[in-house]
Amino acid sequence: MKRFIVVFLLVLVTLFTLEMLTPVQQHVIVPFTGLLAQLSAAIVLPFDSSVVAYGKILQFGDSGFAVSIEAGCNGVEATIVLIAAVVAFPGSWRSRALAIGLGFLAVQAMNIVRIISLFYLGNWNLDIFTWVHLYLWPVLIMLDVLIVFILYLRWLSRADTEELAASNG
Amino acid sequence: MDEQRHLRQFLLFVFALLIPCFGLWTLASGPLALPAIGLVNIMLGNWFPDVVSALYAQGPEGLLMTEFGELNGAPVSPALSEYQLGFTLDTRILSYSIPFYTALHFATPKKDYLAGYLQGLLLLYILLVFGLLCLCMKELMMVLGPLFLEQQDVFVPPASVIALLYQLNILIVPTLAPAAIWAWQSRESPLAAALMGKFPAH
Repeated sequence: MKRFIVVFLLVLVTLFTLEMLTPVQQHVIVPFTGLLAQLSAAIVLPFDSSVVAYGKILQFGDSGFAVSIEAGCNGVEATIVLIAAVVAFPGSWRSRALAIGLGFLAVQAMNIVRIISLFYLGNWNLDIFTWVHLYLWPVLIMLDVLIVFILYLRWLSRADTEELAASNG
Repeated sequence: MDEQRHLRQFLLFVFALLIPCFGLWTLASGPLALPAIGLVNIMLGNWFPDVVSALYAQGPEGLLMTEFGELNGAPVSPALSEYQLGFTLDTRILSYSIPFYTALHFATPKKDYLAGYLQGLLLLYILLVFGLLCLCMKELMMVLGPLFLEQQDVFVPPASVIALLYQLNILIVPTLAPAAIWAWQSRESPLAAALMGKFPAH
């Protein structure tokens, strides 16, 4: 347990510090955030003709309400927490890579739901948008990370049990 | 199958509890922030007496007043300005860790709920106070710049450290700390055993 905590904190702080570096922001985080905005727009546009998208901005043509998807809204921090937890827990590198890959997709899928839901909430009521944006969605994204990690631990536990049964049988 | 039932039940309880917990927190976020604002006011007043006038509570927000005035958008001596420079801080961007932790804690079957809950709350509150301190320092750095960072005979953390601590305390700690405290407190619970198997002892 001690080893888990030490490795977890070490990986977390290292990756978070790396994320904050200007070159990483410029070459990785900002383009990735732009990609998320484009993906969110691509999902919304076929269903809603009143929406216009440009760069990292989604806007309602009629009301003028717009959201700009910024760094900090891209699920990267949640992914960093997941990576730190998976790396800190004993397991093969293959299973770790698989958990991180699938976990990343789960976090980003949830994050796109977040972006789109906030876009529509903001057009409806700005106070509720602010409340949900600042306080509720970060919790839901972290719950997503927690569930992915629990499922990974269950999968590891089952794989161990099956391996043990196979070696005994 | 038992594991799936445990996980479903836990998630159902978490989502069911999140709504009332966030509702209560919204109502109580002002009084909840008061002790943290008071503590940070004492810390800032003693640490940066030439820069910080006071940190006041305004509901769930803190009003950080500086020892400077403002003229043409720039901080100046109060003698040159009619206004004292101050800014508001939202303590809820830190304290929403409390309803999240509450939902996780009470969604987990336990023998004793209260003692563990109070311990968890205390830890979260210490993190909240530290987070608020970082938030204040980041605002002082952004608004006052060299007036804050280059004080004579006062240790001020480097700008990059303040920026990193601020980001860490805003983006990661309020969601990670409740989950981590819950995981630590629940490591021996039947839920954890059913869901995860045994955590490695090393």
